[in-house]
Amino acid sequence: MMGKRSLVSVVDDDESVRESLPDLLREFGFAAEAFSSAEAFLASDVVSDTSCLLLDIAMPGMSGPELQQELIRRQQEIPIVFITAQGDKAVRPRLLAHGAVECLLKPFSETALLAAVNTALRMRSE
Amino acid sequence: MTPEHITLNGASTDLIGIIDTVDVPIVVVRRDLVIAFFNKAAADVLGFSTSDIGRLPRDIPVLGGLPRLEERCSQVIASGVDCRADFREGDKWFVVRISPYPNADRQVTGTVLTFTNVTAFRASIDQAIYERECTKAILNTVADPLVVLSADQRIQSGNRAFYTMFGVSRDETQGVPLYDLGNGAFDLAPLRQQLIAMLANGHAFQPVEVDHAFTAKGQRTALLDAHPLSFPGHSEHRVLVTFQDITARKQAEAARDLRSEEELGRSEAFLAEGQRLSLTGSFSWMVPTDDITWSEQLYRIFEFDPGTPVTIERINSRVHPEDMPMMNERIERARAGGPDFEFSPRLLMPDGSVKYVNAIAHRSRDAEGRLEYIGAVQDVTQRRMSEDALEKARSELAKIARVTSLGVLTASIAHEVNQPLSGIITNASTCLRMLDADPPNVDGARETARRTIRDGNRASDVITRLRALFSKKEFTFELLDLNEVTREVIALSLSDLQRNRVALQLELAEDLPTITGDRIQLQQVILNLLRNASDAMVDVHDRPRQLLVRTEREDGDRVRVSVRDAGVGVDPRSMNKLFDAFYTTKSDGMGIGLSVSRSIIEGHQGRLWAESNDGPGATFSFSIPSGPESVTNAAPR
Repeated sequence: MMGKRSLVSVVDDDESVRESLPDLLREFGFAAEAFSSAEAFLASDVVSDTSCLLLDIAMPGMSGPELQQELIRRQQEIPIVFITAQGDKAVRPRLLAHGAVECLLKPFSETALLAAVNTALRMRSE
Repeated sequence: MTPEHITLNGASTDLIGIIDTVDVPIVVVRRDLVIAFFNKAAADVLGFSTSDIGRLPRDIPVLGGLPRLEERCSQVIASGVDCRADFREGDKWFVVRISPYPNADRQVTGTVLTFTNVTAFRASIDQAIYERECTKAILNTVADPLVVLSADQRIQSGNRAFYTMFGVSRDETQGVPLYDLGNGAFDLAPLRQQLIAMLANGHAFQPVEVDHAFTAKGQRTALLDAHPLSFPGHSEHRVLVTFQDITARKQAEAARDLRSEEELGRSEAFLAEGQRLSLTGSFSWMVPTDDITWSEQLYRIFEFDPGTPVTIERINSRVHPEDMPMMNERIERARAGGPDFEFSPRLLMPDGSVKYVNAIAHRSRDAEGRLEYIGAVQDVTQRRMSEDALEKARSELAKIARVTSLGVLTASIAHEVNQPLSGIITNASTCLRMLDADPPNVDGARETARRTIRDGNRASDVITRLRALFSKKEFTFELLDLNEVTREVIALSLSDLQRNRVALQLELAEDLPTITGDRIQLQQVILNLLRNASDAMVDVHDRPRQLLVRTEREDGDRVRVSVRDAGVGVDPRSMNKLFDAFYTTKSDGMGIGLSVSRSIIEGHQGRLWAESNDGPGATFSFSIPSGPESVTNAAPR
């Protein structure tokens, strides 16, 4: 990896996700930060540095889609990959239609994760 | 007194003195027609003076008002017979009497003129004439005929309207009996008897109505009234009869009667239509006589022939045999003068169909104080049938809801299991990558492997916790005492609560009605609420971890269980999400939690809700109907 590593931020209220995902992302060669809520992410200083956002859908307080709208309002157009344990495939097309890069249903494979993050980063650089 | 006086027949001075005291002017004219004498009154009233003695009357100006006086005097002297003449002096009126003046030998030697003042008399006559003319004018302007009758009820006089109305003249009718009028149209017993009674005894007269074809106006209705007339100084009684034309009034009355009859008819039609549309009939039941009056609609409801007599026996013949005891009891109570009543018997029709009716009766008394019930009977068969249909639809909906909540449950389970599975796969992937690195990151791999085990256990826990729900396929409904159910749950979780240093307070209502429900399911709900409350207070260190569990009876025959904590409380923004299937504020917990709890409570026809406390923390409550009713919807009948 050369130069500055792309920052992938994880926003999920599930602690095991916050523990495990950043480690895997770092193994992929990305920089990773984890937040337990949308509010915590917005309050952090990494919003503008984030190249890709791995975002849970259902969270206490602000939900994933609500954070997406808030970022658009703030003109922080970060490519978003939704991750959900909901197991309902019906939400995926709706989220993609609203501009999400991908929607991964938990549990997902590392291949699917890497592909989604790479797609997001390509969109970011375009 | 002048000497000329004395020359007249040698009358004594005394006599002359007497004549002078008479205040009637007296003038004596001699046979040769010269003035021979006048008294003092003649001087005072007519202005005679002594120079007038020996003069001819024509030469005396005051006598100019008596034309042909000398000629008249000559006639009186010649005939020896009095004559009279009217005479006016200024504003005074006199009647002048010219009388022969005989001497002692009975020879007429002249005439005596006496002037009687009739001014006041004449004025009163003028007044009387004036009054009479006024009265006549007034009577003639009265539009109603008036007629005065003599004591033998003969016509004396009428006003103009009278003559016009009857087309007769004054002369034709003068003295004619009233009863001959209009070819005997007024020869009526009530009129005749009353007039005679009034004239004889002063009895009051009751007006008499007479229909008659009047000459002037055609067929009219006249109201005859009579008033006695009596005059001071006259012994004869007369009667004033008035004819009031009341034709217009009678017509208006008739029209009004007709109109109110029409209005009555219309409102009756409205009522009948209203009864028909609302399927409501009305009745009255006169208890002492058992007289029963029914409206048309009530005949239709009972399918009796309209207008046929209704008896209690006939009504009973339609009442469903199963409802007869209730019917008899109501009738008995009503006969005893019981209060207003309402009941809903079924009717069994001859074709075997059943009608549901609602009867309501109000106790009252008629004018004579007799007990009477007035009421209404509504045919509610249609409504009852739609209620039944609605009930059926509702229970089917409840079935669907249970199926749906199974779907929700599945999704919840998937969510709970997918979370740790996701952690396991991610950690395992990381672990492999760390081991594949050069050099291998063994410490990192060990850590991720440890996390993998932890997440695996977590998934296993979820399955364990869900086992109870998986194992039960059907709800078992039984009569339950919620206090007992609550106590059992608390006994099971007491050690947990104590470990978490929760101060438990129980307020269980003593008079709690039983409910119908599934013991295990309800205990899971209560357990879930207790765990949530306990978890909410884990981070509370500055105040007691108070937990209040309360059962109480609610209005509308419901029972409520509430669990109040003093924990972190619920974000008002999240209040409506609390019960969403995938919503959780905890990384580990009961997981399916409130969503499933709500499904269970709704399966018991109840509801589950959360409220923020006034102080710290939140209260979660559920309420379900008491008694055996709730089972009817939960389990198919």
